[in-house]
Amino acid sequence: MVRAIRGVLIECEPAIKSIIVHLDSANNDIIIEDLDEQHLVVKENMVHVLKQKLEDRLKETYRPEEPLADSD
Amino acid sequence: VVDQIRLWQLENERMRTTAGFLFKDFDTPDEYAALCSYAEEIGVLVWKSDRRKMFFASKMEQLRDYLKSRKKAE
Repeated sequence: MVRAIRGVLIECEPAIKSIIVHLDSANNDIIIEDLDEQHLVVKENMVHVLKQKLEDRLKETYRPEEPLADSD
Repeated sequence: VVDQIRLWQLENERMRTTAGFLFKDFDTPDEYAALCSYAEEIGVLVWKSDRRKMFFASKMEQLRDYLKSRKKAE
């Protein structure tokens, strides 16, 4: 019997997706369905938490190679 | 502050979110194909996989009504 499950579709690059999958693996409380390497469906109420966690994770790993130079 | 803006941009470029409904567990491939093409027709189809017989739609009301009328017709 067909089911319609409420959620939020996330479209992202594979690197971001693997971070989300990793975050979910702790409690399995984020992902509803893993669709393909660039798409997944997550619980509506977890999107906010997920964005926050993702931002924290990016802060840890993302370092600009050099400071922004003045354009002139 | 610049770092925060850069992170915010990074996230927005890298991640797109759409609220809606995942349709899955169809009884038959025909049922999947019919509902999926109807979803496309009315412009609510966001993602689909013919292989996995699943799709994601931004709205469900019309799809629900379509399924009901299909069931009645059978």
